[in-house]
Amino acid sequence: MERIKAPRTDRRNLLKGLGAGAMGVLAAGRAGAETPAQQAPHNVQEAPVGHADTAKQRVDFHGPHQAGITTPRPASGLVASFDIVVSSPDEFEEMLRQLTERARFLTQGGLVPERDPKLPPPDSGLLGPMVAPDAQTITVALGDSVFERFDWLTPLRPLHLQRMVQFPNDALETSICHGDMTIQFCANLSDTNMHAMRDIVKNLSEFLVVRWMYEGSVPPVLPAPDGSTPSARNFLGFRDGSANPDSTDAPLMDKVVWVAGPDEPEWAQGGTYQAVRIIRNFVERWDRTPLGEQERIFGRRKMSGAPLDAPQDATEQALPDYSADAEGKLTPMDAHIRLANPRTPDSDRNLMLRRPFNYSRGVTKSGQLDQGLLFISYQADLQQGFIEVQNRLNGEPLEEYIKPVGGGYFFALPGVRDDADYLGSSLITAARRL
Amino acid sequence: MVGNFLRSSALAIVLASGTAGGAFAADPSLDLVAPLAEYKIYVAENTAKLVEDTKAFTDAVKAGDVEKAKSLFAPTRTSYEKIEPIAELFSDLDVSMDARADDYEKAEEDPAFTGFHRIEYGLWEKNSTEGLAEYADRLMSDVTTLNQRITDLTFPPEVVVGGAAVLMEEVAATKISGEEDRYSRTDLWDFDANFAGAQKIYELLRPLIAENEAEFVTKVDGNFKDVADVLGKYRTPEGGFVSYEELSDADRNVLSTKVNTLAEDLSTLRGKLGLG
Ligand code: HEM
Repeated sequence: MERIKAPRTDRRNLLKGLGAGAMGVLAAGRAGAETPAQQAPHNVQEAPVGHADTAKQRVDFHGPHQAGITTPRPASGLVASFDIVVSSPDEFEEMLRQLTERARFLTQGGLVPERDPKLPPPDSGLLGPMVAPDAQTITVALGDSVFERFDWLTPLRPLHLQRMVQFPNDALETSICHGDMTIQFCANLSDTNMHAMRDIVKNLSEFLVVRWMYEGSVPPVLPAPDGSTPSARNFLGFRDGSANPDSTDAPLMDKVVWVAGPDEPEWAQGGTYQAVRIIRNFVERWDRTPLGEQERIFGRRKMSGAPLDAPQDATEQALPDYSADAEGKLTPMDAHIRLANPRTPDSDRNLMLRRPFNYSRGVTKSGQLDQGLLFISYQADLQQGFIEVQNRLNGEPLEEYIKPVGGGYFFALPGVRDDADYLGSSLITAARRL
Repeated sequence: MVGNFLRSSALAIVLASGTAGGAFAADPSLDLVAPLAEYKIYVAENTAKLVEDTKAFTDAVKAGDVEKAKSLFAPTRTSYEKIEPIAELFSDLDVSMDARADDYEKAEEDPAFTGFHRIEYGLWEKNSTEGLAEYADRLMSDVTTLNQRITDLTFPPEVVVGGAAVLMEEVAATKISGEEDRYSRTDLWDFDANFAGAQKIYELLRPLIAENEAEFVTKVDGNFKDVADVLGKYRTPEGGFVSYEELSDADRNVLSTKVNTLAEDLSTLRGKLGLG
């Protein structure tokens, strides 16, 4: 198959040019501009000033695992779920190869090809003639329905992959549940994600039907005085992510996130289970709840994010010590963080890596804001991870303020090794061997 | 199936930067004369049939014959749906004849809601022809006007050539969901007519590109055939279609991918024929 892409070296040079050149010129044009206020455009029609340094951030596409999982979360996320229309392993492979091709280009960036102007342009043009990588990652995961529907995949289903079932507090809407495949797009700018989404919708129309899509964001946070960046806040105003396992700790990620070992099919090694949950937040009601109660519901202080049993000046990094609070006098027994992770030697196997985004979609029929959490977690064991933890959370006081309405369980494919490899190659190879 | 889009676009780049316009018809207007004339006949035949069928349909409505009117609703629409790219050029008539309730602020209750779907609403939701006579008269007069205007029309080549893709865009955007004939559930009749209309245009132009675009033609032919196969499953012995509700999710997904891929591919027809 021929590929639309500038040769690798060209691309790199061009991107260098983009950093030092194009955007640099703009910055220099506003000579002496140092404070954000001075950098601001002068006229209504001038675009908000882009950032050359973030635009050129590039996340490797190749590796043992897919990017976008232990990769730091950029400001924008988009999850789209698709149904796959293929009728043979060959067509499935063709779809995956084309998807890989597009993802490779979109994440690495480069020049958009030109075409005869009598034809529709090959690119939406959303990002102009030069696609900046902008920390774009594209993460592909398969739902259990493909293993269910295609008998040539059925014997290869990952051990724990299953169709999401309703939890007691859920009010699932069919139109935003499940799917054969999710693509998680993450980037600094939401426009970058949307450009990638449109590219894939256009180029893979032969194989993919969009089922649902949710977009979310992470509010950027100023660095703390010590140079560390605290966790961002969710739409309930609490810091989200404080107790996440350290995603830079590779051995820990091997344990918590990446599938390995003889219980799982060979092809799935290096992949991970993805749980997506679209969880509405009743923000009006939440904002009318006393602060003390809000904090007891989570088990953390709202402003600092510190656990309730930590000293007043503690940060979110402080660790709760539930053994010293066996009756829940400081941290209620049913606080979100205490139920989610009781921190017993046993509960270590229920760890997961959470990577959520906040979403906002207009208003409901009752005139309330339709906002919530696009919850995404990755775990090596879906049963011990998401499902077990959600079962412990069932009935938690937070439920009064949240309503899970959609999502599904998926299996994020192992990484793409190199230019010759493609997403899901190990699965296709295994399917052919059956 | 192979990455035709990638391949053909890569090809187009090569051509665009190399021999300018080399792949395209030297004088498109000449090559298009015959297909355009033939298409005009196709449209004329369909509008004539539309006039005839609408007469029978509206007569039944006005005679208060609910069952007869119901049975004529879907077949009457097909000749309109086949020529939609042309019919739509007259947006005043299109709105009056074919708009849906959700095009109006007050939906079904909106006084501006007229045409086929207003009558459909009465026949199926109310199971009655009461109050429908005025809509029937207006529909008949719209159809007559449409017929007259089309007779006088010089067909713009880019509209005809682009029309194949436009029909697919219509299906993709608002029909695949089953919202077109929501009261009667006769959507599959419309699908079939839209595909037939697109295929007609494509077939007329096919000889002009078959040689230089062999791969494209194979792919488009294949997709039209796949659509026909899927729709074929839902045909009734009388030549019509079963209710849209019987369309399986899997088949709807197949139709959806085919419609979008056909839209994607047919949208290059104008360029391939040298029309900007
Ligand atoms: C809208 C819904 C939710 C909100 C607003 C929310 C919010 C929070 C907040 C503020 C924290 C404390 C800071 C942190 O460690 O990140 C937290 C912790 C946590 N949440 Fe949630 N969460 C939600 C849903 C869930 C769900 C569905 C799960 C999994 C089933 C979950 C699992 C966890 C875990 C494992 C922790 C860390 C506990 C610890 O290790 O101390 N959360 N959540």
